Amino acid sequence: MTHMKRKNDLYPYALLSPAMLVTLIIIFIPMIYTFGLSFFNYVIWKPNEIRFVFLGNYAKALSDEIFRISFKNTLVWIVGVIGMQLLLGLAAALLLNRNFVWRGLARSLILIPWVTPSVITALMWRWMYDGNSGVINDLLVRMGILNHYVPFLANNHTALPAIMVALMWQGFPFFAVMILAGLQAIPAELYEVADVDGARPVQKFFFITLPMITPILLTTILLRTIWVANSLDIIFIMTGGGPGYASHTLPLYSYIRAYKGLDFGYASTIAVYLTMLLVAIVTLYVIRILRGEERPR
Amino acid sequence: MKRSLTLFVLMVLVSFTLFAGGKQEASQPAQEEVQTITFWYHFDDPETALTPLIQKFERENPNIKVEAVRIPWDSYNQRLLTAVTGGNPPDVAQVKLWWQPQLVELGALEPLDPWLANWSGKNDIYDRVWELTKFTDGKQYLMPLQMVILYMYYRVDMFNELGLQIPKTRAEFLDVAKKLTRDTNGDGEPDVYGFGIRGARGGHDWWGTFVLSSGAQFFDSNGNSGLTTPEAIAANQWFIDLYRVHKVSPPTTPNDGFREIIANMQSGKTAMTIHHIGSAQGMVDALGDKISAFPVPAGTEGRWTSFGDEENAIFSASRAKDAAWKWVSFLATAENNAIWQKSSGQVSINKSNADMDFGELNRFMKATTDSAPFAGVLPAHPATAEFVETVWPATMQRAFLGEITSAQMMQTFADLYAGK
Repeated sequence: MTHMKRKNDLYPYALLSPAMLVTLIIIFIPMIYTFGLSFFNYVIWKPNEIRFVFLGNYAKALSDEIFRISFKNTLVWIVGVIGMQLLLGLAAALLLNRNFVWRGLARSLILIPWVTPSVITALMWRWMYDGNSGVINDLLVRMGILNHYVPFLANNHTALPAIMVALMWQGFPFFAVMILAGLQAIPAELYEVADVDGARPVQKFFFITLPMITPILLTTILLRTIWVANSLDIIFIMTGGGPGYASHTLPLYSYIRAYKGLDFGYASTIAVYLTMLLVAIVTLYVIRILRGEERPR
Repeated sequence: MKRSLTLFVLMVLVSFTLFAGGKQEASQPAQEEVQTITFWYHFDDPETALTPLIQKFERENPNIKVEAVRIPWDSYNQRLLTAVTGGNPPDVAQVKLWWQPQLVELGALEPLDPWLANWSGKNDIYDRVWELTKFTDGKQYLMPLQMVILYMYYRVDMFNELGLQIPKTRAEFLDVAKKLTRDTNGDGEPDVYGFGIRGARGGHDWWGTFVLSSGAQFFDSNGNSGLTTPEAIAANQWFIDLYRVHKVSPPTTPNDGFREIIANMQSGKTAMTIHHIGSAQGMVDALGDKISAFPVPAGTEGRWTSFGDEENAIFSASRAKDAAWKWVSFLATAENNAIWQKSSGQVSINKSNADMDFGELNRFMKATTDSAPFAGVLPAHPATAEFVETVWPATMQRAFLGEITSAQMMQTFADLYAGK
């Protein structure tokens, strides 16, 4: 009997081991390797100058202007993109939760931005923003909002916001779908009771809907923060980080240092800084959630 | 339990069969020792020239098989360097001159001098090409393959309409560019710009034309930086002003890359730009007789235009170097090189191909050959790759947007070359 039980205990681990092994090989080992590389001066085409510099790269980053710009842009990027995606996703979910004709169709169509490959999204938006013949410029000029074409992606003030709008468009369906699932799990009785009590729609939203979907919101925000912070494909295709360094973020800067400058040591350091930033955000976030849960309802 | 045992036995059986198959293949006696060489290349339309060339080569050299691998241009250099450091480079790869310092530093390239000493085709390649491709250590690592020289495209019809002459100096050029920048539909905004500047990656050739011809040089005769002298900073300022002050280039300039430059010229958004004969056919298809070309105007110190090159290199890790040599010398021989150029749209490195007829592109060929005496290259320095790939575009864009001054921009370049 005991023998039998032990065997059963090991069984789940045996089933998990292939997945764990793969994760170990393709995630953890490269991660540890990157961490190790970040202490080295490691430029691929200078094999004779590879040496241990300990925190040298970390100190260099602090006095590196491009790193500072990228760091600031990363914060703007995370807060801006997640904020916009959340608001748009919430609005979309509230709309889709109502009864209307073709609701099923609308619910499927809203997923289109989410399932469009990033490369296509980026190229599409790049053409829409085009400063010579882009549709966005054309519409804004026709509507009289602009009086001449603006090269959105070639201007240091508009490049990053323009890319953020593209990413908002791409990512909001995920929020919408998650929130919609949450909305549908709210028991209708709560609203009926509120109606009996004479609650106004705004009150119903703040006292029933929002508290009921908060757990889903928190999880989704956390997931999206990690994904959005790491995403660089759309920026890379739309501006390559330019003009100048106006749309550089940390993952992009790390990528450019590694694959254009072939400076893998410094690129790893930037990646480690990004990881530390994310770990800090996630930790703060988890602590807040835990505190929230301990509080008596 | 029983099921997994069966599975295990099956797997073992399958792997045995696989190994046995491999062994059988390997142990088959080769009729003749056939060597395979891998060849990396990056040009757009392989079907037209490369496949027939490989077939021709394999007919002439039955013991050598060429395995051609097309690598996308955007990641070409990066993948080549990664392959080299990973210890598994191709036998032969198409390379650019400005990668040479890094590849030599890595010890990746095989000097070609021993083969070249006995190669009869050597004298049929232009002396200037040999000069430009020889490395600073005096060795020849690169086998010339094709070349282009950058010139100025211009809209003949617009020049005629405004009664403009071809500019010979940068002052005349600015004057012409200002006149060509016009509002044609009366909405108060220019619809045609005099000069299309490439502000994104690859635009250093536009910059060099005006800045390296007016007192700026990467290194002076003493080996010191010649980028931060007052003349160099002024020349750079003159170039920045084309966009910021005179506004003779479209507002999108900082992000304009190859595609935008060509599209703007073809659609009539710009009246002049710099490029080479590789884009001439497309220009003629779009604009017919309305487009032609002239050698770039002179700066304060003479003219400078970019020599665009393409070579083949043999990698020292190759185990079939003699076969690789046969392939690179085959491609550098006049008859085969002419076939290659038909599809690359560029210029042969062979003297005996000089009178190749380019048909309706002859006027662009003339602008190319007229520019040969002052065509130059960026310094053979390891920093050049980074200068071209990231530092020039980002720094130029910042200067165009007014984030940094001309002096700061040139200091950034000087620092890069000083290894700071």
